[in-house]
Amino acid sequence: FTCAGAGQDVGRSCILVSIAGKNVMLDCGMHMGYNDDRRFPDFSYITQNGRLTDFLDCVIISHFHLDHCGALPYFSEMVGYDGPIYMTHPTKAICPILLEDYRKITVDKKGETNFFTSQMIKDCMKKVVAVHLHQTVQVDEELEIKAYYAGHVLGAAMFQIKVGCESVVYTGDYNMTPDRHLGAAWIDKCRPDLLISESTYATTIRDSKRCRERDFLKKVHETVERGGKVLIPVFALGRAQELCILLETFWERMNLKAPIYFSTGLTEKANHYYKLFITWTNQKIRKTFVQRNMFEFKHIKAFDRAFADNPGPMVVFATPGMLHAGQSLQIFRKWAGNEKNMVIMPGYCVQGTVGHKILSGQRKLEMEGRQILEVKMQVEYMSFSAHADAKGIMQLIRQAEPRNVLLVHGEAKKMEFLKQKIEQEFHVSCYMPANGETTTILTNPCIPVDISLGLLKRETAIGPLPDAKKPKLMHGTLLMKDN
Amino acid sequence: YRDLHTFELQAPTRLIEWARESRVCVAGYGQSDGNEILQLIPPPTLLTKETQGLCPERDFKVECGGFSERPVYSLKYVPDTSLLVTSGPPDSSLQVWQVSAEDSDVIKSVSSIATENGTGQSWAKIATISARAPWVLHGSRLDRVQITEVESRKNVYTAASGGSEELGGLAFLDCNTLLLCCATGRLCLADVRQPQSLVEAGSVPSAPCSEQWCMGTRHGAQGSEPSSQPVARLSSRGLLTLTDLRKTSEFLALAKARVPSPGSEFLCVSWAPALEGCLAISGFDGTVHVYDTQSWDSSGREAEPIFVHKGHAFGGAGGSGDPPLVTVHTWHLQKPRTLLSAASDGSLHVWDWVQPCGKC
Repeated sequence: FTCAGAGQDVGRSCILVSIAGKNVMLDCGMHMGYNDDRRFPDFSYITQNGRLTDFLDCVIISHFHLDHCGALPYFSEMVGYDGPIYMTHPTKAICPILLEDYRKITVDKKGETNFFTSQMIKDCMKKVVAVHLHQTVQVDEELEIKAYYAGHVLGAAMFQIKVGCESVVYTGDYNMTPDRHLGAAWIDKCRPDLLISESTYATTIRDSKRCRERDFLKKVHETVERGGKVLIPVFALGRAQELCILLETFWERMNLKAPIYFSTGLTEKANHYYKLFITWTNQKIRKTFVQRNMFEFKHIKAFDRAFADNPGPMVVFATPGMLHAGQSLQIFRKWAGNEKNMVIMPGYCVQGTVGHKILSGQRKLEMEGRQILEVKMQVEYMSFSAHADAKGIMQLIRQAEPRNVLLVHGEAKKMEFLKQKIEQEFHVSCYMPANGETTTILTNPCIPVDISLGLLKRETAIGPLPDAKKPKLMHGTLLMKDN
Repeated sequence: YRDLHTFELQAPTRLIEWARESRVCVAGYGQSDGNEILQLIPPPTLLTKETQGLCPERDFKVECGGFSERPVYSLKYVPDTSLLVTSGPPDSSLQVWQVSAEDSDVIKSVSSIATENGTGQSWAKIATISARAPWVLHGSRLDRVQITEVESRKNVYTAASGGSEELGGLAFLDCNTLLLCCATGRLCLADVRQPQSLVEAGSVPSAPCSEQWCMGTRHGAQGSEPSSQPVARLSSRGLLTLTDLRKTSEFLALAKARVPSPGSEFLCVSWAPALEGCLAISGFDGTVHVYDTQSWDSSGREAEPIFVHKGHAFGGAGGSGDPPLVTVHTWHLQKPRTLLSAASDGSLHVWDWVQPCGKC
């Protein structure tokens, strides 16, 4: 087991597991903080003589966030890998869009050259094999994988990797508490030899969801009450849907009249994802969506770009999410100069985007043609993306019952307490490797042995009679040749 | 409310202690082993003067933690050191811990301060000060009060015996003066330089049935006489007395809080550090009451709270088991109307109330 990234580092996830002679790469993420090659995981850790396709049996991607899949086209097309890449259906649908967006920003806006191309993204996705939840996929005769629901974002999965009687479970990012549109992560008592869990939020005690939502609604309400306009850049289905439901309910309760719009670009993509999405929610949430036609909200209507110039208050959901191009950027430019207006950024923004700049406090932006845009509108940041906290991690360990636990995605010294906590409560060993560090975990392999009837009879004749309720333990010596 | 944030701890706490650089400490009090002591960094929203609505950093972060074999009923940081002291059943001994947040995030158990184990000894109440040296004042009963030097574990003072009542609380008024409050309500003053003397500082109105008392002290402005600040005492029936230590023969004020049922082990009364005459009480149910004592007299009349925090009563799991009981509350040291409160269901609330017109 080697961490090529994400070992004691929040940023790029990339883990290499060697299990019973098979080599699997888990995630292939981009570090969002670096602008040079440090953003990619160090693949030289994997094998010295280069042929990754021969060395790796498969690659597994847990979900579409760039810190988990951002380096995939670089890895498969520029470094070179032609083997299978496994991910869930929604991840396969959404990944290329995020990768293309990211590529556009990096190459077109920032002018970088050592980066993958649009064609590379397409070629990379051709190598992807999509999997369903709880479906056992035979990678080869000995290696099998199975995806479990992870919550967190649409399509996120935890993967069990099994070779014979040895298994590893990799969580990716997950969440143990359900929200409005995603259920909680779940796994059966599969008793893996090793559970690899993210621990980014292990030390966090989160503010309740109700408080966050209440504050979000308060901000939107205040802006609209004073005649201002609220812009909420969103990426796609999922969070946007959740916020829509939240606003719709609030508007209804408070009898508010200001219009809420949803940009059309989103609607087209959304219909496609909706079908994928619906199988990814639990019963309760599915019912909510089935009852309402996805975009038939009473108070939320389709947006027309001309509306942006209408006077008076309004709320608009528009793509893309980082304000780096397209409709959301257009609207932003129109509304930025008025301090009555507000923009609420719903998540992380990549460096170089307008979203990132305004979140960093920049209020004078250089746009195309050297134009300076003065940002007087209020800038707010809100994150509803959920990760497991310490309680959640303990819950997952309790569900899966691993023999060993390995923590990634956190900062080393801050994990010592959690490590002790896990070791004390579950009596398992807990590891926290750094980048490039290899952790070896010994497993007790189970070797099935046949015994002849004669030998069995002779053995049972000795000692007390076999009890139907108590299993009888027999001892023997196994001699193996050529192992 | 001006603001309200609710959090959920993995295990309920009955203490909230402020540490250096705005850190907050909580600890578990469950009967079994594996109670955690957690030093938390509050979200930046609580550290700034203005309220920020959607600031991303809204969460508490566990900076470091330790494991206690016994339930932690009381915890005090030792000023000017990286140590803290805890106490809890089954006896009145103290445990000393080292917090070294830079190297590792584990709070390590360093030593323990043993005390005589008499019969019927419950857990020790503690107070700390670092004047001549880092000291801890501790005791579970009035006749077992002592001061121990934390690092050397040497005894530097033993109070004269004034009876064997259980203690409800104790405090350093300054580096020489101790204030002891018995569970019966009796207050005593002692001077570290005069080990044989224990001065009565006021009793409480007698009650038809037995009730428990606890006290709350306030530190005045820098340089002011410690005894100029009134001492508040709260009983399990909801009776509140204010005493001026310079004139202990009478009450400065006496009032009654309206409580649904008697409180017991989680009684808590505290003065607002930044608001004159304001105090808060809790421990009777899932609420925290805030009172303005400036209008109080000695009649013992029922007082109206100026604010009631009901969050814990509503936040519960809904129908499963007993409604949550507030175990402790504390005031924010700088933000005048911000309080933190915890309850028996593991909830931790941070709230800021709007002052009612005209008062406080």
